Amino acid sequence: MKSATRRTVLAAAAAFAAAITAGAAQAKTQVMFYYPIQVGGPLTQVIDGYVAKFKAANPDIEVQPVYSGNYIDTTTKSLTAAKSGKPPTVAVLLATDIFTLIDEDVVQPIDDFAKTPEDKAWIAGFMPAFLKSAQVDGHLWAAPFQRSTAVLYYNKKAFAEAGLDPHKPPTTWDDMVKAGKAVLKKDDAGKTTRWGVGIPGNVGSAQWLFGALAAQNGARLMNDAGTEAYLTDPKVVEALQFWVDLSKVHGIHPPGIQEWGTTPADFLEQRIAMVWTTTGNLTNIGKNATFDFGLAPYPGKVSPASVLGGGNLYIFSGAPQAEKEAGFKFIKFLTSDETLADWAIQTGYVAPRDGAWEQPSLKAYVAKTPAAEVAKKQIAVSVPEFSTHENNRTTKALNDALAAALTGAKTPAQALADGQAEIDRILKPYKK
Amino acid sequence: MSVERTSPFSTALVTAGAWGLAILWILPLAYAIWTAFHPAIYAARLDLLAPWTLENFSRAWNAAPFARYFLNTFMLVSLILVCQFVICTMAAYAFVCFPFRGSNLLFMAVLLQLMIMPEVLLVENYRTLSRLGLLDTILGMGLPYLASAFGIFLFRQTFKSVPKELEEAARLEGAGPIQVLLRVFIPVAKPTYIAYGLVTVSYHWNNFLWPLIVTNSVETRPITVGLQVFSTVEQGVDWSLVTAATILSVAPLLLAFLLFQRQFVQSFLRAGIR
Repeated sequence: MKSATRRTVLAAAAAFAAAITAGAAQAKTQVMFYYPIQVGGPLTQVIDGYVAKFKAANPDIEVQPVYSGNYIDTTTKSLTAAKSGKPPTVAVLLATDIFTLIDEDVVQPIDDFAKTPEDKAWIAGFMPAFLKSAQVDGHLWAAPFQRSTAVLYYNKKAFAEAGLDPHKPPTTWDDMVKAGKAVLKKDDAGKTTRWGVGIPGNVGSAQWLFGALAAQNGARLMNDAGTEAYLTDPKVVEALQFWVDLSKVHGIHPPGIQEWGTTPADFLEQRIAMVWTTTGNLTNIGKNATFDFGLAPYPGKVSPASVLGGGNLYIFSGAPQAEKEAGFKFIKFLTSDETLADWAIQTGYVAPRDGAWEQPSLKAYVAKTPAAEVAKKQIAVSVPEFSTHENNRTTKALNDALAAALTGAKTPAQALADGQAEIDRILKPYKK
Repeated sequence: MSVERTSPFSTALVTAGAWGLAILWILPLAYAIWTAFHPAIYAARLDLLAPWTLENFSRAWNAAPFARYFLNTFMLVSLILVCQFVICTMAAYAFVCFPFRGSNLLFMAVLLQLMIMPEVLLVENYRTLSRLGLLDTILGMGLPYLASAFGIFLFRQTFKSVPKELEEAARLEGAGPIQVLLRVFIPVAKPTYIAYGLVTVSYHWNNFLWPLIVTNSVETRPITVGLQVFSTVEQGVDWSLVTAATILSVAPLLLAFLLFQRQFVQSFLRAGIR
């Protein structure tokens, strides 16, 4: 009798527990979060850690983080899911994909969700340069998250060997050419063993770094509405001519196209003394460099300038309202000063909020690695990456033009004129 | 067998050509092995005295749950292989031995499918799976591939080449349709099965885009999607890590091929797939 009672009680307790957990599971709002990984390290674990922290603070929201390859894969995956009616709630996608996502009608502006004064203050906390790449037609379409900017890495040892001041990186184009010539090293056979400067020009990075070159010459590649490109602007042509001449006239840049993927290795093995690449490389280069190196803002012709890159957090319009609200909460968590500061330390990305740089953790990191601050100082003079409607096609046209000029198949003026004609054709439907 | 004697010069040319092509073909693999077993600084330098290391492999192995990915890939590939064998065999057998009105038209429709790239159907397939509730499952990942137009076509051609007498003899002995299939057609077509199996296994072992899109969790992702974590493009590529991970993921296939090389080559010759 006694044992029977006990069994009943136990069974009832078990049923009750099951009922509770089932109820709890149902009450939770699901947030599907797609994110790409572009830099090395065990970053999926870092993201999982953020998600766990968010869940602890918001037990009613269930975030499912899905690592989805690189940016292109993530975009494909998100668009496929959105088109078949089951979009992710939140995804990290390229800032430059904004027009594509709006044209495909799959994303919803962030300002639809930011209603309280607190939310408005949160938006105001982002650096204006980063917000700019997410603003179209008076709406804010995404929240800046894993952002980077391009900087100059230079080999201090090579500078010292060449009799240059290792604490004075070049600040103008002429300076850079002079420094490049000074550090150039050839073997007895006349083969160059150390180049002056390397600017990656393969498809995918050419349009990015060329944006910096154009901005340094006081030009821009497109308008804010993403409906026009300005490749035939004489200043833009001059910028490309300079890039081509680095190799052709000055002989300080490896001939042809420098590959993005091998650029860090070229720098680490001291085959190139100055390279243009992303701040995202700092951890990697810092860990593997066997010589003293420095980080510097980009030089300028008219004025120093760089480009911004990286990804923003988008909310997908096709998700249920409750999920989107929960997703917005998650976005606010991911872009809080504390999380962004930690993310910057873990990855080398540039925290896009001034508040994040005030966090003790990031301050301590900057004190230890002063190079990290170079990127921050440069942000004010940085421009958004080339981005228009039909972005894949226009970016390809621009990349093709740059490749034709860099390989010597066409003159810079001719290549850019052809690219402009192609882009005009693609963007015709968007001109009002 | 040929009566004509080829000149020693042309033989030498053919041999040299074959060697040249073989070396060209093996180069990427040789590079991968070289880089995977050496420290990172030797990634772009050939130094015969460079120290050997297994560190890249342990780094790669620890960077992702490879064991789970292997299991997933293995389950996915076996599921697809078994289903394709069964379905394609049945379909091909029907096309060859039980013609009916419109069966030729139906066969044309199957062939037509060969012209459609699977990528075109991504969105529609995804929608179907989402309605079936099979997103993020291994069954769902395999579902669009369970029947193969190429397999049906290949088996049909092979079954057609089986002499009618063999089939009739079996029937006279009292074998039913299923027994004829099992005892006559399949044994004759064995080289085709091996060759087709190899093509299918290597295709699905390497398939990337579709698995990436339909899977969300470690429990379902195959090795190719898991491997993607190493292509951290923004930082440049850590070649020693990438090559180590690549070798890990192709090793089972490569080993199997090396072990059964003779059988594979023979069945390719007999099956006529090139």
